[in-house]
Amino acid sequence: MRFWDRQNAARAETRRLLLAFALAVLLLVAGVHGALALAWLLMAALLPWQLPYPAGFLAANVGVSLLLVLGGWWVETSNLRAGGVKLARRVGAREARPAVSHAEQRLCNVVDELCIAAHMPRPQVMVLPRADAINAFAAGWDAGDAVLAVTQGALQYLTREELQGMVAHELSHLHEGDTRLKMRLAGMVYGLELVYHFGDTVRERPGLAWWFGSAIMLAGSAGWLAGRLLKAAVSRQREHLADARAVQWTRSRDGLGGVLRKVMTQRREAARLRLPAAAHGGLAHPAVQHMLLVEAPDEDRLSRHLDSHPSLQERVRHIYGRSMPPLPVAPLQDVPEPAHRAVQAPGAVPLAAQFDPYA
Amino acid sequence: MSMTAWLVLGGLAVAAAWAVAVYNRLVTLRNRIANAYGQIDVQLKRRHDLVPNLVEVARGYLQHEAATLQAVIQARGQAQGAADAARAAPSAAHLGALAAAEGVLGAGLGRLLAVAESYPELKADAAMRQLSEELASTENRLGFARQAYNDQVLEFNDEATQFPALIVARLLGFAAAPMLEATRSAQEREAPAVRF
Repeated sequence: MRFWDRQNAARAETRRLLLAFALAVLLLVAGVHGALALAWLLMAALLPWQLPYPAGFLAANVGVSLLLVLGGWWVETSNLRAGGVKLARRVGAREARPAVSHAEQRLCNVVDELCIAAHMPRPQVMVLPRADAINAFAAGWDAGDAVLAVTQGALQYLTREELQGMVAHELSHLHEGDTRLKMRLAGMVYGLELVYHFGDTVRERPGLAWWFGSAIMLAGSAGWLAGRLLKAAVSRQREHLADARAVQWTRSRDGLGGVLRKVMTQRREAARLRLPAAAHGGLAHPAVQHMLLVEAPDEDRLSRHLDSHPSLQERVRHIYGRSMPPLPVAPLQDVPEPAHRAVQAPGAVPLAAQFDPYA
Repeated sequence: MSMTAWLVLGGLAVAAAWAVAVYNRLVTLRNRIANAYGQIDVQLKRRHDLVPNLVEVARGYLQHEAATLQAVIQARGQAQGAADAARAAPSAAHLGALAAAEGVLGAGLGRLLAVAESYPELKADAAMRQLSEELASTENRLGFARQAYNDQVLEFNDEATQFPALIVARLLGFAAAPMLEATRSAQEREAPAVRF
């Protein structure tokens, strides 16, 4: 089946990217040492008297840059570890109330259903009441504080089947440990960033320090950029994996596919009316940005390569195997939906199955 | 002892360690299949527990549909009996009877909900709406529990039938587990129409 293959491909790609990440850290350390050694040699050549090459120069350079990278990683990771529920509250989520609202009862049921399909413990279900955009995120370091938050817009505009697709995508992030992986990568990128900032600090001092600071900054900025590119690439692969998972668990492409196509419409409307991204509630927060179902639109993006998500069109193409038009977005009446599989006469073949063996 | 003897002994020890690892992995997977099967049972029980509530709420509005309600209650009783029998002795006959009883219950529920369709006050009843959402969810859970069971069987079968592990599986009598076929009988194929 196709979704198994997609999952394997996405996992293999992630492994390659993580290796590349380790390589980038090594190169950064080598780069810092190389740049500093070059600065030293230049200085030694320019000065009128002889300078002996400092003993332990390599060890000091490597030690300091590794200290910065690993220390930054550790500090940032322990910040992010604070817990999924705490993070969700910070962006304005509250716990779902299945007893009060019919839509939230439906959401909680959908989460329970899919946890059975996925063989996993149920995460805390939360709602972002102020966000009208269709979106969701999962967060949490481990199963104990895993949280799945859904926007009010998703509750309002998505059918039960689509809600299933969305929840399945987010559960995949929790199931595969993506939330942890992404937090780790964010920590590593922060470590690489620290080297850059260290160089900047050194540069502020007068005299020779400017040269050395510039050398460190140059190596650091190359490492930082490489780190961000790799982090974004890993993240995009995990999104593809989660999409394939959602199709596996729901055995339906119209679930998640419908969500993405409705988001397309919402995006187009927002662009047409020139609405700000305010409808996203607190979701533009950088701490959750890389964990969303679809990225909150951001104007000052460097390029496609820094996006943490593949484009909507690309994801829809992966799910359906071809491009699909956007779907209209209309609020549901507050009525329970039919069960997730369409009822049909025994023996009848659905129309789609006649054209598509995967339907 | 000679060098060769040591080599042979070492080789045997490595092979034995590998066989133990494979055996343990297969046992874990087989236990997971049993657990996944238990999940289906849990969801069937949930369905049985929902029926009396649904009937109680519907009874207030459906005085003229006593026969439909009676049929659902009866089917529920039979399904519960069949489930108990299958739990006590999971033989093929009992499982077949359970599948048939569940099919009848599903059809009865479908009829009840179809009848409820023509009673707007019942449809608008808050308790009824909540119950029919629960029922829709239970049907989905049942489907997902079966799907999870089959996914687990696939994992076990993949492990037990691939080449080197296949030797251990055959020697220790791990047979490939059968998948659940929801469409074994025509009755089972019929999904209950939870339409509102």
